[in-house]
Amino acid sequence: MRVLVVEDEKKTASFVRKALQAEGFAVDVCHNGDDALAAARTTPFDGIVLDIMLPGRDGLSVLRQLRERKSMIPVLLLSARGEVNERVEGLNAGADDYLPKPFELAELVARVRALTRRSGENKSTVLRVADLTLDTVTHRAQRGGAEIELTAREYRLLEFLMRSPGRLCGRMMILEKVWDYDFDPGTNLVDVYIRRLREKIDTNFQPKLLHTVRGAGYLLKEQP
Amino acid sequence: MTIRTRLSLWYAAVMFVALMIMGVLLYYQIIIEPRERARRHPERHHTEQAIDEDLFEDVTGIVMWCGVPAVLLSVGGGWWLMKKSLAPVAGLTQAAEKISAFNLSERLPRTGNGDELDRLTEVFNGMLARLDDSFNRTREFTLHASHELKTPLTILCGETETALRDESLSAAERERAASLLDELRRLARIVDGLTLLAKADAGQITLTLEPVRLDELVRDNFADAQILAEPQGIQVELAACEEITVRGDRHRLRQLLLNLADNAVKYNQPQGRVTMGLRRTNDAAEFTIANTGPGIPPEILPRVFDPFFRGDPAHSQTVDGCGLGLSIVQWIVSAHNGTITITSEPSKLTTVTVRFPLLEVRLQMKKQIHEQRRSARDIQ
Repeated sequence: MRVLVVEDEKKTASFVRKALQAEGFAVDVCHNGDDALAAARTTPFDGIVLDIMLPGRDGLSVLRQLRERKSMIPVLLLSARGEVNERVEGLNAGADDYLPKPFELAELVARVRALTRRSGENKSTVLRVADLTLDTVTHRAQRGGAEIELTAREYRLLEFLMRSPGRLCGRMMILEKVWDYDFDPGTNLVDVYIRRLREKIDTNFQPKLLHTVRGAGYLLKEQP
Repeated sequence: MTIRTRLSLWYAAVMFVALMIMGVLLYYQIIIEPRERARRHPERHHTEQAIDEDLFEDVTGIVMWCGVPAVLLSVGGGWWLMKKSLAPVAGLTQAAEKISAFNLSERLPRTGNGDELDRLTEVFNGMLARLDDSFNRTREFTLHASHELKTPLTILCGETETALRDESLSAAERERAASLLDELRRLARIVDGLTLLAKADAGQITLTLEPVRLDELVRDNFADAQILAEPQGIQVELAACEEITVRGDRHRLRQLLLNLADNAVKYNQPQGRVTMGLRRTNDAAEFTIANTGPGIPPEILPRVFDPFFRGDPAHSQTVDGCGLGLSIVQWIVSAHNGTITITSEPSKLTTVTVRFPLLEVRLQMKKQIHEQRRSARDIQ
């Protein structure tokens, strides 16, 4: 997977590149919009991380230009302004996702991963991690043959985690996909729900499946 | 023309009219009346007593028929003059009363006739312009400051997170970096909140208004509140939830409800209680949320919506939060033309009441305004 990072702030570009490389992505970096357009023309990237505030041609203009060229490269917009109107504006211009600054690095990596594998997403109706299964049609969850009662919200949280097993999911991403919140409520809502879910799926079972990565997010996987 | 000149001219005119009337009456009393009398009673002419009596009658007549009307006329005229010249002052007072920090760009209406009051209005408008300017500068400063803070914050968060990924870190170093990251994120939330408030203040945020089923949002929020309250053993109840539709921004309304629920849990006591309710009153949707707990002393109650205001310094140590929650709540409420009130009985109940205009009422009002406009057009 090859990703282009367009960010004029050199330090930010550098740690974003390191984080993506650590996850196995090949990363190219540009510091302005014109270079980004030129790079996208010659190299078939699997995704672009695009800052809106760039010197010269700004991120939104780069994005529009790309879409005019009928390029379908998934684009994740970054913005320091971070506000609902801008998010809508970005998505309308053809962005696939939007992340306000300052972002959590794990969040950014998780989103880039989600973007680049969008087509290959698990579409099966029964999701499975170890001996935990979730039927997305009947909304029934079972572990080791035992039925697990879930509330509607817990179901959505579990489904979200099970759709990307072994992948780290950031707090903001969970809030956005499970709660449909486009703001950071500043509460520990996610942590409390994770704790409850853990009680239901992990307390009486081995091995433990739901893991917390301090300062980054949560992930569901078999091996610790 | 200045007010002084105009008043003097008007007063001269009134005096002139009064004098003219008085003159006519005097002429009648002194010249016509005695002659009439002499013709009717020619025998009374000769005695001194008769002359005295006539004179007395004449003087009484003059006072009655000329003095009283002249006094009444000048009092009435004076009252009318004062009213006429003070009328613009009342208008100015009314207009000036409506001006607050939120509509400083408005100006007082000028008459343009160059009198003292017009000049006063001009000076007042000039002052408003300067105030408006300095308010805008403050707003822009906050906005720019929060933007400028975001770049270094992004770098700090990113570098700290990168450091955390380093496998060679000892457990103690990892703990230090993680705790640093927690504080950085808290700082980031404060900056986010500040940006939001600065933008809201400058009117730069547009809400996506649509009919929203408030009862559905409240039910949703009730479920989240129960989960949030569980660790402290707090009971959450939904006392009422009537089916109500308002016109609003779904995301902002959810943010509002969650913020209030979060506060009701945070500032509670272990094994305490939270009671929510959504009811329809005559013309409003009324959401109430009450919680047990230490409560808010009455002297600081009016200030709880101020940014960064924390009543009890002890709270800032124990309760996590960015200190902008209630300010954001207040903005969301006023952006929906609603009102918010907070009452508190120390160590008993603290109740927050939010009122939104009902969708039907708003539609009716709109229709009324529309009809008024149309009838005004028809008259024209």
